[in-house]
Amino acid sequence: MKLKKILTMGLSLSLLAGIAAGCQSVAAGDTTANTSGQAGTAADASQADASGDVTWSENLLDPENPVTVKFYSYSYASPAFGTGFQTMMDNFNNGVGKEKGVILEFVADDTGTKAETDVKAGQQVDIVQAYFAGIDGDRDTLGISAFEDVFPQEELDAHFEGIPENCLNLGKVDDKMYGLAFTFSTPMLYINGDLLEQAGIDPTQAPADWDELYDWCVQIKEATGKYGLALSPSNSTGWVTDSILYSNGAKVLNDDRTAVEFASEKGIQAFETWKKFYTDGVAVGGTDTEAMQAFASGEAAMHIQSTSVYTSFVSAAETAGWTLYGYPMPGFNGQASVPTNSGSAIVVRPDSEQKAQAIWEVIKYVTGDEGYTIITSEIGYLPLRPYLAEDENYLKDFVDANPIIAANIERLADVQPATIWPGDHAAELTTLYADMSTKALTTDADVAQTLQEYQDQMNQYIQQ
Amino acid sequence: MTEMVKKQTGVQINMAMRKTAAKRPVKISSKIKPWLFLLPTILIIVFWMLKPLIQTLMYTLYDWNMLPGTMPEFTGLSNFTELFNAPEFGSAILNTFYYILMMLPFAVILPVIIAALLQNLKPRTQWIYRALIFLPMIMPPVATATVFQWLLHQTNGLVNHLLVSAGFLENGINFFQTEGLARLMIALITGWKMIGFATLMFSAAISNVSPEYYEAAKMDGSGGFRRFIDITVPLLSPTMMLMIMMSILFASQWTFSYIDVLTQGGPYGTSTNIYYLIYKYAFGNSNVGVSAAAALVFLVIFGIIALVLQKISNRLAFYDN
Repeated sequence: MKLKKILTMGLSLSLLAGIAAGCQSVAAGDTTANTSGQAGTAADASQADASGDVTWSENLLDPENPVTVKFYSYSYASPAFGTGFQTMMDNFNNGVGKEKGVILEFVADDTGTKAETDVKAGQQVDIVQAYFAGIDGDRDTLGISAFEDVFPQEELDAHFEGIPENCLNLGKVDDKMYGLAFTFSTPMLYINGDLLEQAGIDPTQAPADWDELYDWCVQIKEATGKYGLALSPSNSTGWVTDSILYSNGAKVLNDDRTAVEFASEKGIQAFETWKKFYTDGVAVGGTDTEAMQAFASGEAAMHIQSTSVYTSFVSAAETAGWTLYGYPMPGFNGQASVPTNSGSAIVVRPDSEQKAQAIWEVIKYVTGDEGYTIITSEIGYLPLRPYLAEDENYLKDFVDANPIIAANIERLADVQPATIWPGDHAAELTTLYADMSTKALTTDADVAQTLQEYQDQMNQYIQQ
Repeated sequence: MTEMVKKQTGVQINMAMRKTAAKRPVKISSKIKPWLFLLPTILIIVFWMLKPLIQTLMYTLYDWNMLPGTMPEFTGLSNFTELFNAPEFGSAILNTFYYILMMLPFAVILPVIIAALLQNLKPRTQWIYRALIFLPMIMPPVATATVFQWLLHQTNGLVNHLLVSAGFLENGINFFQTEGLARLMIALITGWKMIGFATLMFSAAISNVSPEYYEAAKMDGSGGFRRFIDITVPLLSPTMMLMIMMSILFASQWTFSYIDVLTQGGPYGTSTNIYYLIYKYAFGNSNVGVSAAAALVFLVIFGIIALVLQKISNRLAFYDN
């Protein structure tokens, strides 16, 4: 009996020790945690002068003892984009990286969850290729730093020369740059020229607006039996939805980002026009991937998508023997559309001044002239630096040979930021926004009522 | 005389004491030994199950995004309020029970029938059929999901192509983006995947039933269906109860991969279940408190179900001793 008691006590003690360890981990609060809930980052490690600007007193990089920078990237995980990123990594490591003492290591992260789980497991995560919609949330969930808090202002100013101001604003939250636009595009309308010709439509001209686009779709369906348009109602993070709403004069978030207001008259009107495509069976929806597959396989004649898949469509068209055309997405009532940005931003989380310097070398390269030449020519994304399109040493030949890229670059000056959801519930809001589009567009539900219901739900989250 | 008796008694007592002393170490070691054998398992259970369980209970009271170096904030029961007010919570609970109900035919009814039918085949044919039926079980869930994604694709999938070509439909169906259908497809794929395992379990159980029962019943003039109902079914009841319990307790877990790959809980949260919700709250929304609250709800509900099933199992199962 005594032995049983001793063993029971021993077990209880070990259990209590476990609980204590659990309590410890729950209550573990690093003193470096700052007010925004971020871990101790280079914002704490870097020196700031009296004005609050970051200064680097000396070069902490040493080619003899290189610093490794881990860059989590969903593009690197993609078979279509991976080679371009591999080229960038090899060129950096054999060139400027070797010279300065920095090793760039891309980590494939196709869904973005690896970066998040690795951060939570205490692993080294220095740069993340993040979606714009979640950047505000990433301040809390990834512990990212604002560029102004970890890099000297004069370095930022020098590097950002040649980048349009509105592009630099795409990743700003509370007037600070938490994300630097990296791989992105405006919404482009891809056209399968052969299917349009079969329907008696001239594919060398873009549709004037959404009404004409609808008429074309009806004509295509009747003549060929194929869908006129392939467009995912949820379209990744909802960046095309943003563009459609903006193009009809509606807003998604109010100016101070404290409430959503897409259930306005203009918003409802835009959704009703869009919904007609699905209810009349002339457009195919589904996920972004499904819509892309429908267009690439010739089952849909037109498709709204970013230029990130441009090279895939070029090879699909070549293989199947049809001609690919591309134009900016149309607007409403004969007006040009308001382009938003797809794609990703670079977000950073340096943990020391030395790491900040190493990260900055990587950023300068991948968003510099050489980096963007690779990103645009090998993947199809917009060059953040439009002057490269006119430089024979970089992208001139490529842009001349691919007019769709030129059309995309022309829209760069008008690009408006796709919605960045307020931080505390960014993930929930992204999901609800996608759900709203799917329900309003693909079911019998009343558009106005659905938009209002989701607007109320989303505002409840924002106001929590 | 008296002294002699005393001496003798003293000797006996001493001998008894010596015996006891000699036996004691043996007794202690025999008592310690089983515990020593159990110790590694107990430590593993404490470290990997009890400790995380207690941590989860504590997380229900905190708001935390799991970011190293940040301080969890005590928020009391607000995680439960947030969970119960979440629009997808109600449908997640309903869908959890929907998946359980949909699993039962694939875990019990069809496998029992298939196993009984296979029993009458020649051994070699039996072996081929069993292997074919078991095949889905060894396919990786993500590969299975991808195959079905291709088969059921709205524009390029074989199923829609056949339906449209045969004139049943004008346009293909988006199986994974249509409310109701998405959930049904996930249930059917999960069922298809687990039917092989259940059939194998029932085949093994049937082969343990003594052929004498069937022979005696035949001599009494009972037909094949009668023998199935009166002999096979009662003698399979322990396996049936086991499979029912397994499908109820694991339906959420088994559907998880298909929800994640094929619908991500959509369209608009109509195919999600409580298991997927726990994952989404923790790793999608980085809200460990609400995730832990959902996990606790899951634990309580399924704990009660497991206890009830245990009781029912003891009453209903018939063992052929």
